[in-house]
Amino acid sequence: MDNFLGQFGPATVGGLAIGSIYALVALGYTMVYGVLRLINFAHSEVFTIGGFAAVGVFLMVGVSAPVGGFALIGLLLLTVLVAMAASGGTALLLEQVAYRPLRKHGSSRLAALISAIGASLFLQELIKLVIIPHVFGQSNGAIQLQNMPRVIDKTPLFSIGNAPIRLDHVIIVVAAVIMMVLLDRLVNGTRVGRGIRATAQDPEAAVLMGVNIDKVVRTTFLLGGAMAGVAGVLYLLYFENLDYRVGFVVGIKAFTAAVLGGIGNLRGALLGGFVLGLVESWSSIFLGAEWSEVTAFVVLVLVLMFRPTGILGESLQRARA
Amino acid sequence: MLLEVRDIHVHYGKIAALKGVTLEVEEGEIVTLIGANGAGKTTTLKSISGLRPLTSGRIVFDGTDISKLQGHKRVLAGIGQAPEGRGIFPGMTVQENLLMGAYARKGTFREELDEVYELFPRLSERRTQFGGTMSGGEQQMLAIGRALMTNPKVLLLDEPSMGLAPMLVAQIFEIVREINQRGTTVLLVEQNAMQALQLAHRAYVLESGRVVKAADASGLLDDPEVRAAYLGGDLGVD
Ligand SMILES: Nc1ncnc2c1ncn2[C@@H]1O[C@H](COP(=O)(O)OP(=O)(O)OP(=O)(O)O)[C@@H](O)[C@H]1O
Ligand SMILES: [Mg+2]
Repeated sequence: MDNFLGQFGPATVGGLAIGSIYALVALGYTMVYGVLRLINFAHSEVFTIGGFAAVGVFLMVGVSAPVGGFALIGLLLLTVLVAMAASGGTALLLEQVAYRPLRKHGSSRLAALISAIGASLFLQELIKLVIIPHVFGQSNGAIQLQNMPRVIDKTPLFSIGNAPIRLDHVIIVVAAVIMMVLLDRLVNGTRVGRGIRATAQDPEAAVLMGVNIDKVVRTTFLLGGAMAGVAGVLYLLYFENLDYRVGFVVGIKAFTAAVLGGIGNLRGALLGGFVLGLVESWSSIFLGAEWSEVTAFVVLVLVLMFRPTGILGESLQRARA
Repeated sequence: MLLEVRDIHVHYGKIAALKGVTLEVEEGEIVTLIGANGAGKTTTLKSISGLRPLTSGRIVFDGTDISKLQGHKRVLAGIGQAPEGRGIFPGMTVQENLLMGAYARKGTFREELDEVYELFPRLSERRTQFGGTMSGGEQQMLAIGRALMTNPKVLLLDEPSMGLAPMLVAQIFEIVREINQRGTTVLLVEQNAMQALQLAHRAYVLESGRVVKAADASGLLDDPEVRAAYLGGDLGVD
């Protein structure tokens, strides 16, 4: 118990950081599900691409030591923009190539899911066989940032109780919250958002209102992809390593978060992300960090067994969000 | 001619739902389309709104062939629809639902909104209530009001009386008449053939995807076949 109390604070901080990342990725799953009733399996690779885009920016700018102040803000803004563009672009392309033709053809949802899994594997292999060796000139299937200097100083800034808080914790949580607020504003406060909500609630009625469904679908993929791109940057800042499979594990956890909150529900995805991050982090105090994957799956199975509609219960269909 | 449907065929997969439907709607008319369950009434309206693609045939609206025009563009062209089952956005308020009707349009819609609220005072009282929590009759009013917000030249109504108490049905039909008198052309799909025929100028009878009768509404009210099939035998007609 002493052990638990001693580690509770740090585990909470870590859980919030990783939960922010899950939440951002979960938004993409939940938005696409809300609009198309499709689980975009390849969303995990959209996230991975964001991380690699960030590495690209760091290499290109030639960061040689941790930066601070305005230089850091500038660097992060640039990185986030590039990652959003890369991930958003990938998501758009994915929609165009892997999903739209099936949709136009009136194929079953199972066909779309299989296409999604195929696209996911394709993107993984593309990262492994083309991007890592040819763009980054490494062939070991991993980019370890160990041989690159840190971008952010990781010494604690201050403590809350016995929990040391580092700059990367602050950046991750703040950046995630900013993105979530922006997305919420967009979905609930703009014309584009009204089109998305109408399509999620009743696609045929939306067409009868003059909503261009194809455009809504593209926008949804773009937004979800951009969020995953930001998550990729934050992941890189936190863990300082990437390989072609990182998306798989993060993707499953973010999907769990989306289901946990109630798939199709934006605020549910946020809640689910933070809850899963915290549960995982706290449980690893007892079980060890290597068990955190198991925790996520246990949570997923329990949710599906006892509350398949998730914590918030209602989907994007019914919810105001 | 405002709306011309020329020999359209529509399929769901391999199943033919419409096997050559032809009908016309003149500006200012109320035209009703009656027929048994599964006759293809909803499919006809969906095809006119561009929700189902045509296998063959043409749809001409306001002088232009819109057969290939995407559904969302037909709204701006002037085709509004209150669909079967009402299609209310459950997570939006009454006012948000109505404003969705003006989604495709630029400019002001204050006037239209006021007009809808005047036509349906009940909606006005419930502006902030969620669509999904409205009663069936209220939802039907909302669906019609929302379609009016698209500023349609022709208003397509798919069984607006479905599931409503007789008093409410009469009220809805009265409002349809009022909408028509204010200048909107109406194409009304109904199971409630008696009341529809009393309201409409002309009527088409649909059977298994084909038009089997086209006539003045008053003529069909006296047609023995129609009376037997859709009007419940010799129920009194005034
Ligand atoms: N989504 C669909 N998939 C397959 N068949 C369909 C679909 N929708 C309609 N149909 C078929 O098309 C035919 C016409 O249906 P439609 O809904 O147009 O009839 P309707 O006249 O509106 O009937 P109702 O009065 O019951 O609303 C029916 O045989 C129906 O089974
Ligand atoms: Mg019908």
